[in-house]
Amino acid sequence: MNAFEVRNLRVSYDDFEIISGIDLDIPAKTCFAIMGPSGCGKSTLLRTFNRLIEINENARVSGIIKLFGKNIFEIETSELRRRVGMVFQIPNPFPHLSVYENVAVGPKFNKMVKNKKELDKIVEWALKKAVLWDEVKDRLRERASNLSGGQMQRLCIARALALKPEVLLMDEPTANLDPISASKIEELIHELKKEYTMVIVTHSPSQASRIADYVAFLYLGKIVEIGRVEDVFENPKHELTEKYLTGRIG
Amino acid sequence: MLRKLKNSLFLIYIVLATFLVTLPLFHIIFSVFINGFPVILKAGLSFLTETLPPPGEELAGIGPAILGTFILTFLSSLIGIPIATLAGIYAAEYPNSFFSRATRTLLLVMIEFPTILVSLFVMSIVVLPMGRFSAIAGAIALVIVMMPYVAVYTEQALKSVPERYREAAYALGLKRKQVVFRVMFSIARKGIVTGFLIGIAKAAGETAPILFTAGGAYRTFFIGLDKPVGAIPLLIYDLVQQPYSNYHEIAWGSALILLIVFLAIFIPVRLSVREVKL
Ligand SMILES: Nc1ncnc2c1ncn2[C@@H]1O[C@H](COP(=O)(O)OP(=O)(O)OP(=O)(O)O)[C@@H](O)[C@H]1O
Ligand SMILES: [Mg+2]
Repeated sequence: MNAFEVRNLRVSYDDFEIISGIDLDIPAKTCFAIMGPSGCGKSTLLRTFNRLIEINENARVSGIIKLFGKNIFEIETSELRRRVGMVFQIPNPFPHLSVYENVAVGPKFNKMVKNKKELDKIVEWALKKAVLWDEVKDRLRERASNLSGGQMQRLCIARALALKPEVLLMDEPTANLDPISASKIEELIHELKKEYTMVIVTHSPSQASRIADYVAFLYLGKIVEIGRVEDVFENPKHELTEKYLTGRIG
Repeated sequence: MLRKLKNSLFLIYIVLATFLVTLPLFHIIFSVFINGFPVILKAGLSFLTETLPPPGEELAGIGPAILGTFILTFLSSLIGIPIATLAGIYAAEYPNSFFSRATRTLLLVMIEFPTILVSLFVMSIVVLPMGRFSAIAGAIALVIVMMPYVAVYTEQALKSVPERYREAAYALGLKRKQVVFRVMFSIARKGIVTGFLIGIAKAAGETAPILFTAGGAYRTFFIGLDKPVGAIPLLIYDLVQQPYSNYHEIAWGSALILLIVFLAIFIPVRLSVREVKL
């Protein structure tokens, strides 16, 4: 079963084509990494999966993307984004809200709960899922901006999980974290892929090899190579992939 | 050694410059207190409640002017703040649309626009057709004066919120309305409320807009929206032009009241709206 099926996807900003005809399948409940050098279009590609790209007025998208067989452009954006959660490169918990409220905000505004008790339950569940509960259970009323960078990022993961998504998109989720916090997030990704489809953008091949089952190498808006991680890392079919993996591009 | 000297010279320069810039402000506050306080002490609490006395010895009070200022400020805020806030939101949310660019330019022109001309304009479209000065004419003039401040502050405050929070909100499936009103607005609230306050302070403190519109009434209290109404700044302006010494004293007392009203609007709200650390 594929979570995403992408056919002939093209994305441009104004008249610049950034994604130039991409085909890929993302199997459900696996970790799929998109790697490539800076500026190759990784974030742009990821943001088409939940149609977040559409908040940029100058973006144009064409092609087909299916989520579990259904065309995402026929799903209402707010429903799509509930089903396809997203975590960003810079941890962005809402600075005006407490730890608790940050996790509660999604279920609350999407009217997924009937009362405070249900909400409490979801918040606790999501924070446990994101392996943050033990660190924050006594600090739920504190401003989220008091947390450390790694904690903030796990809070953002909890915030996304609270909507009970099927897919979690992550755009370089460890790029702004110290190595210890980064490895905690990587461990978490390992756990989460048992239940969720994880699509992770990274500029680091070594991270891709540690966390992913499948990997796509994106270069100048095209997929150069795609496949199981072992295959791509052990015998890259393209010279370009090999150059990238050995650090000669990017 | 030389660098240390340079540094301390620079520091002295900054302190001196700051002092010179703020000197007039402190001078105003100081002289208003020195001259106004004894007047209010002498007149007692009735300064706040009684009507203007005839020329002579008596101080009586400026009750109608105080009430008038509250009514004008309240009315103009009630009309002006919602409209201006929406204009500010619009300009921030659709920065590239023609209408938004036009709004922004218009707002900036309105801020620089001589307020006396606003007064004349409202006189020609409201006062003349109605045949008399009125509270509503004064309020409309104040609305025009306060709106650009509120709108520009709202726009700037919303624009200063980093894009990553807007993205986070959309990524959670929030609708545009929720993103703007529930998320962006709350993050930017300090700046937005500051804009409200500046607008309110303008409405309470400006004289020129109400010069040809509100009319002024100091011997009777508020009698209706379509009737003339007084205001503290307008009263001060009227009183200092008169040759009577009790009127000059009342003017100083009124100035102190105006200052207190101003500080009372500004300080508590400034303190109570917590800044959001980004
Ligand atoms: N809103 C936008 N308008 C115009 N051009 C954009 C916009 N967003 C991104 N771009 C351009 O699109 C190209 C791809 O950007 P994208 O952010 O997808 O790259 P990336 O692979 O994620 O890079 P990085 O590793 O630096 O995050 C870049 O050249 C960028 O300048
Ligand atoms: Mg990127």
